[in-house]
Amino acid sequence: MSQILFYLLPETDKAPATTVPAHIDFACRLAAKLYRQKSKIFIYTDNQQDAELVDEHLWQFEPESFVAHNLQGEGPKFGTPVEIGFKPPTSGRPILINLSQNMPDFIRRFNQTFDFVPADETLKQQARERYKQYRAAGHQLSTEPAA
Amino acid sequence: MNKVEKVFCKDGLLSQAIDGYQPRDAQIELANSFWQAMNDKALLIAEAGTGTGKTFAYLVPALLSDKKVIISTGTKALQEQLYHRDLPLVKKTLSAFRKTALLKGRANYLCPYRLDLNRQVSEVKDKKALNDFTKVSKWANQTESGDIAELTDLEEDSPVFPLITSTIDNCLGKDCPRYEDCYLVKARKKAIAADIVVVNHHLYFADLAVKDTGFGEIVPDSDVVVFDEAHQLPDIACEYFGERFTTRQMLELAKDIELEYRTELKDVKQLGKAAEKLNRLSKEFRLLFPIDPEKGNWRVKSQEATFNDGVNELLETLSFCYEVIKQCVSRTKGIDSCFERICHLQAVLKSVTDLSKVDVSLWYESTHRHVSLNLTPLTVADKFAPIRTEKQQSWLMTSATLSVDGGFEHFTELLGLTPHNTLVLGSPFCYEKQAMLCVPRMIPEPNDREALNAILDISQQLIKASGGNCFLLFTSHRMMNLVANMLERRIDNTLLVQGQRGKRELLKQFMAEESAVLLATGAFWEGVDVRGDALKCVLIDKLPFAAPDDPVTQARIDNCKRNGQDPFSKIQIPQAVITLKQGAGRLIRDVNDNGVLVICDPRLVTRGYGESFIKSLPNMRRTRSLNTAINFLQEISE
Repeated sequence: MSQILFYLLPETDKAPATTVPAHIDFACRLAAKLYRQKSKIFIYTDNQQDAELVDEHLWQFEPESFVAHNLQGEGPKFGTPVEIGFKPPTSGRPILINLSQNMPDFIRRFNQTFDFVPADETLKQQARERYKQYRAAGHQLSTEPAA
Repeated sequence: MNKVEKVFCKDGLLSQAIDGYQPRDAQIELANSFWQAMNDKALLIAEAGTGTGKTFAYLVPALLSDKKVIISTGTKALQEQLYHRDLPLVKKTLSAFRKTALLKGRANYLCPYRLDLNRQVSEVKDKKALNDFTKVSKWANQTESGDIAELTDLEEDSPVFPLITSTIDNCLGKDCPRYEDCYLVKARKKAIAADIVVVNHHLYFADLAVKDTGFGEIVPDSDVVVFDEAHQLPDIACEYFGERFTTRQMLELAKDIELEYRTELKDVKQLGKAAEKLNRLSKEFRLLFPIDPEKGNWRVKSQEATFNDGVNELLETLSFCYEVIKQCVSRTKGIDSCFERICHLQAVLKSVTDLSKVDVSLWYESTHRHVSLNLTPLTVADKFAPIRTEKQQSWLMTSATLSVDGGFEHFTELLGLTPHNTLVLGSPFCYEKQAMLCVPRMIPEPNDREALNAILDISQQLIKASGGNCFLLFTSHRMMNLVANMLERRIDNTLLVQGQRGKRELLKQFMAEESAVLLATGAFWEGVDVRGDALKCVLIDKLPFAAPDDPVTQARIDNCKRNGQDPFSKIQIPQAVITLKQGAGRLIRDVNDNGVLVICDPRLVTRGYGESFIKSLPNMRRTRSLNTAINFLQEISE
């Protein structure tokens, strides 16, 4: 069973000063914060395009917020503190950041999952669906405004 | 506004003298801080990004003051540029009357005595060398400075140079019959009398280490020392406070003994034998090592009996020569000099093979013909820093690449510098707009077999996008040659590979050709200034960590471990950061330059220490998409 925390994104569809969707920007900042706390994280996306978007965004962070990370299939053998992928993870990690539109079926392997409710209507609707799926699967859920 | 600011300000002397001069805050800040440090007899350590104008920032205060200033720079080329171009310009602008002098190392000056000597008993046999010798003789009659740099139509490695210059070993000093005509002495006298002396780091330390006797008077006699390209100091300092024994020294000594035997001391048959034995033994010692050049830890190597025995035989030979030559002492000046050299060689050989020494690295290095045994101290903190305080000098240490993560500890600790003021001045370039840094996705780790193919593919795409005008910089000759060989089959651009010709020649050709690609290692990571469209793309094969088998690095690492510190973060990362900054610095040389830097090493992204590198590199736009980088290249190539 995983602890799942949903962040509710405020009602603007773009993060300031970047072209990255707000929830992805927020997820990356969250990853940076967790990285500083020396956590090991897997960031799950729906497809390669999104994975590379996350990769690119992390790489462009200001130097003070550097995050050592890798895409699935690159980097050292046992991965880096932050791995990004659109396939199920191969190594065990305590924290999952879910950017996929569906409930990942490997979610039980993570102690803690972070998910997001974007402001965009379609995405918000999908997030609601996931919320229901998580609850049905018996995970512990909570929400918090993204700030 | 003070004296210094007045020169740099909008209507100041510089803007009157130089077209297009713009006051730059960073430049004025550096000049002011240096002026302050000169008055306080303080130490200022300043990183000034490319384009800050740091040369003028120290030349102006130096010329305005009434103190004796030494300016030490990284290479002879920079020394000449400073002395022949920048210094006269600033001097004229300020209407300053300060006396200036250029001083180089001994090997740069014609030695009239040796020229005569080798004219008599010439070993010069081949036609080309004879031809060179004729040129030298002609030039020697008219030169004023005796600086062999004036011999521009001789190749840098012409075999005549050792015959017409002196070494500390074969110089007769005050006993020389041509002492009055000695160009080195003249240059030194001029330097002593000058207010501003331009030297290079090697010379500065040679003087300091007082290896070159009769000369240790210039450095101590100054009030102010400016070290430009100061990031090179720790390595050079360690080298000069170390000791070195080479079979080359033995061979040259053998040659000079033979010369004495054949000219002045024909009666002493033993001299001929001594020379022959010295010659043979030094060659035999080289043969103990593998044919291919190598470098390693002497403490380990000397465990093998053959090498230990080899050293003992060298020592025996030296004492034999010592006994023979002792009999001839004071017969000729030449033989006296040989005697001193024998004594010196004996002492050095004992020192560099003394395994009981701690805090030093003992290492050997072989070239195709020679072997050297070396002693390098692991720190020069106790020797270097006191010089400033004892002499109450003010020092400016500056470079475009001195800080790591905004700090200078890695630098100051090695040199024992404390206390000091520091400055980090950003470059006036807009790196975010002018340059892009790309670490391509999915490239293999550097030790992966597939790395070569990845680098090849990436190189090929980049060369196509930029139409040549690329530097491919490598951390190893092996990789450079592999890529060079395979690229040759894939592209039509002219490939210039380090080693094909001299550095200057290669650069000249690179700039002359429309679409050339230059492949190089070490020497080209620094001090190469190619502006504008001739250089649009720099590719670096991997993060430039010092080779783990480098014996001095290895000894420093071991020492660091013994002190309970982490050598990786303390030594290896800072060193690699500075080197990478130098390599990256080749790309943007001017406010109008644009370019792409591609580093084919995923560790920059995937390892925690990537942070140190990213924090220390100029703030270029970053991408992981090779296509984005290629698009940018195409944009700036239009």
